[in-house]
Amino acid sequence: MIELIDVNYSYEGNKALNGINLKIEKGQSVSLLGPNGSGKSTLLKLINGLIFPDSGVYRFNGEEITEKKLKDAKFSKSFHQRLGFVFQNSETQLFCSNVYDEIAFGPRQMGMDEKAVEERVGDCLNLMKMQDFRNRQPYHLSGGEKKKVAIACVLALNPDVLVLDEPMNGLDPRTERFLAEFILGLNKAGKTIITSTHNLELVQEISERAILFDEAHTIAADLQTHQLLDDIDLLKRVNLVDEYYHKHQEHGQGHFHIHNY
Amino acid sequence: MLEWLLKSENYAPVSDKDTFINKSILSFLKLVSKIRAQSSYDKDKLFVSPVFKLVFTLLYIVLLSVSQSFTYLYMMITYIMLVLCAMPGKDIIKVLRGSLIATLFTVIILLPAALSGNRYSITMIPVKVFATITAVNILSYSTRWDRIIGALKRFHFPDMFIFVFDITIKYIYMLGEFSLEMLYALKLRSVGKNKKKYASLGGVGGTLFIKSREMSEEMYSAMECRGFTGEYHVYEKFQVKFADYVYILINIGIVSLFIYFQGLL
Repeated sequence: MIELIDVNYSYEGNKALNGINLKIEKGQSVSLLGPNGSGKSTLLKLINGLIFPDSGVYRFNGEEITEKKLKDAKFSKSFHQRLGFVFQNSETQLFCSNVYDEIAFGPRQMGMDEKAVEERVGDCLNLMKMQDFRNRQPYHLSGGEKKKVAIACVLALNPDVLVLDEPMNGLDPRTERFLAEFILGLNKAGKTIITSTHNLELVQEISERAILFDEAHTIAADLQTHQLLDDIDLLKRVNLVDEYYHKHQEHGQGHFHIHNY
Repeated sequence: MLEWLLKSENYAPVSDKDTFINKSILSFLKLVSKIRAQSSYDKDKLFVSPVFKLVFTLLYIVLLSVSQSFTYLYMMITYIMLVLCAMPGKDIIKVLRGSLIATLFTVIILLPAALSGNRYSITMIPVKVFATITAVNILSYSTRWDRIIGALKRFHFPDMFIFVFDITIKYIYMLGEFSLEMLYALKLRSVGKNKKKYASLGGVGGTLFIKSREMSEEMYSAMECRGFTGEYHVYEKFQVKFADYVYILINIGIVSLFIYFQGLL
């Protein structure tokens, strides 16, 4: 479904992606892990067609995605409908006057009649347990609520692939748990999920495969999530965790925490 | 899970005009990357203190505008070109592009006068414009903005003025990045025909306004928490290095040549 072959990308001469080779199949749930600035967010932008490789090939559903191709409005719109992107900062994703209009923005553009739009918005609000928020102004919502609205907006387009950039950042544990369950549910429903995260506790619940980036902006490992999380030396080597990081296995289930002293 | 989520959407988009969003994205990208490129300078290019660069660039502007000697003007252009050669290739192109466009406009404006017999203006003024704009562009492309602003301190500019200047550049960048993200979000969700394009763009503008107000309030609160009482002091270390002495000597030469060619001795 998504294929990257020897992709390189630089910002103002600074390497952000260095020879990335990657294949993600339909229905997979993949997590991108790595220290800050290792290129995860850049890769997500590239997958969503917001930036283009300096060299290398990006294919979506077997079709090469290029800047020229995305200049064709019809192709670009169809591509963006199939790929939903939830930004790290939800504030930047909300620009309508109320939550209802915000979620209805996509379905209305897709030419749905108002009754179908209302149904879809209602469904999305129910899924997010936000039925009482339909007339609220998005800007005055809390961080977690904004995140839920941003996800609902993207979900209303019913994309085949859902790309989430640090979805758990700044959320309380309850909302975090809700979102983890929700992402899992979407994956079970057949959606392809690509998540960039630092949350090592949740990553094993929401994805079966994990891709680890290092500070050289390359892929250091592409393994099953539990295999990757078991390789603590590797996590330390890429500077994702500190030297005190360890795993307790005595209760059967792996438990992660950090000792400062 | 909902039934429609289990199925893939069978959707074929209709065409719509999105030029405005794409053009806005491009212009914000240019702005943000320009500021980002400035702040990514490891150190000032040309190795001379920004204070001297600023002083002597201002001096060049004055000398170039009052000079009546062609020989002096061409010597100045030669000197400026030599300095330009010390800069990276992509900066040379940017500097020259700006200077040549301005010179071309000046020639066009002066063309009627030249055709009516006044040849002096068209031979003198475009040369002055070219040299002045190149000198200013060299300063701009070889020195980080915050260093130029910091250099103003040496000229007894009020600290508060320097602070406001500094914060303005910082917020142009931050709000630029925020706007860029919002336009990206709008583009990604514009998957069909938008009948209320201007309402969406109004929403982006409105959110940006609220965000900027919120950011300014937060910054003021943060400053108060760190002891801000309405006074601000800019502290800067000023050190004259070997390169600065060489630069000063060269510039003494430039002023001497000006005096000589103007016949002021």
